[in-house]
Amino acid sequence: MRKTVTTKSYTQAVADGIWGAGADLIGYIPSVTIAPVIEHLVTADGGTAGRAERVKPLSREEEAIGVLGALPLAGKFGAVIMQDNGFGNSLTALTTFSMSYHLPLLIFANTRGGPGEYNSMIHSISQPMPRILRTAGLQVLELDRRSSADDWEQTVAEAGVHARMTYRPVVVLGSFWSTDGKVA
Amino acid sequence: MGRWPETKRIEALDVLNELTAELPVVVTCAATSRELASVENRDNHFYVLDSMGLVGSITTGLALAAKDSDLPKVIGLEGDGSLLMNPNVLPTGGFLGAEKLFLILLDNQVYGSTAGLPTYSSRVDLGALAQAAGWTVGRAADESQLRGEFARLLTTTGPTLLHASIEAGNAADIPKLLVDPVVLAHRFQTWLTVRMGPHTAV
Repeated sequence: MRKTVTTKSYTQAVADGIWGAGADLIGYIPSVTIAPVIEHLVTADGGTAGRAERVKPLSREEEAIGVLGALPLAGKFGAVIMQDNGFGNSLTALTTFSMSYHLPLLIFANTRGGPGEYNSMIHSISQPMPRILRTAGLQVLELDRRSSADDWEQTVAEAGVHARMTYRPVVVLGSFWSTDGKVA
Repeated sequence: MGRWPETKRIEALDVLNELTAELPVVVTCAATSRELASVENRDNHFYVLDSMGLVGSITTGLALAAKDSDLPKVIGLEGDGSLLMNPNVLPTGGFLGAEKLFLILLDNQVYGSTAGLPTYSSRVDLGALAQAAGWTVGRAADESQLRGEFARLLTTTGPTLLHASIEAGNAADIPKLLVDPVVLAHRFQTWLTVRMGPHTAV
């Protein structure tokens, strides 16, 4: 694929990638890092104040897997935006529901606990999370400052295609450190 | 069928199976799924084999997806123990106001598939919790009320919950559901997508 250079922000790139992935409905669990992504998604869908017809706030990662992960049963496709420490709340749902029933789902999660982190304990769950997810059999794609916003958008969009192609959830982990985004 | 809560779960499921023949039904794990499948194992049943607590969330997602379809409601058959594993279902459903969300709570005050250990529902009114979260709630203490409240809530827009009290205990000699979940998903998806009609946008 030919690469183009834009001045798009990383958060805008993630939002555009999620729409580009073909998401019919998007659920999010709050995070200061992904708040701009949510704002871009809500604005693009004609909503305000964190809510739109196709963008819904949810209270916990586990229920997000249930709500958005169920959409393929109705012939639709869902996406979840969250923070990586929330995978601890959702592994049972991901493994016994999404993976066991072969239901595609796109998950974009910002990472915590690495460079740029202020919190003294969150690395305890965030640092091993890629290994935890891969041990559970999940497909994980990782993004950071070393690739462009365009690359982030294309990766997120392709992750959605890959999820549908392989009938399983696909996780994209994004580290916003040293990008134009906010880490925490 | 006797007066509830002397009614067994399988007797309530027999009635509900008759009432939901043309509706998508998401069924909570273990004994409830097994007993419903023993009554009738139909294509409109989606058995959640092991994700305790997730039925309400799955039903919420499908209700949102079916918003523009001709389906009157998406049904979730839930137990009190399972709902208490993920009570977020109630505030989330109330907040989102999913028009076609309909949970039927079979409340026997115990974890029926986990040695009959007690849940909180002998002291905590789960129907009142749903009501506080913005759901329209009906209650059933016998078969007549179950049928009447089902019919009323089926035509009520917005999240609805039918709180039915049943007897503790599981039916005897019900075979386990030893089915590949992928088969269950494909069967239900085939049934449901036909009924989603041309309305593909969520």
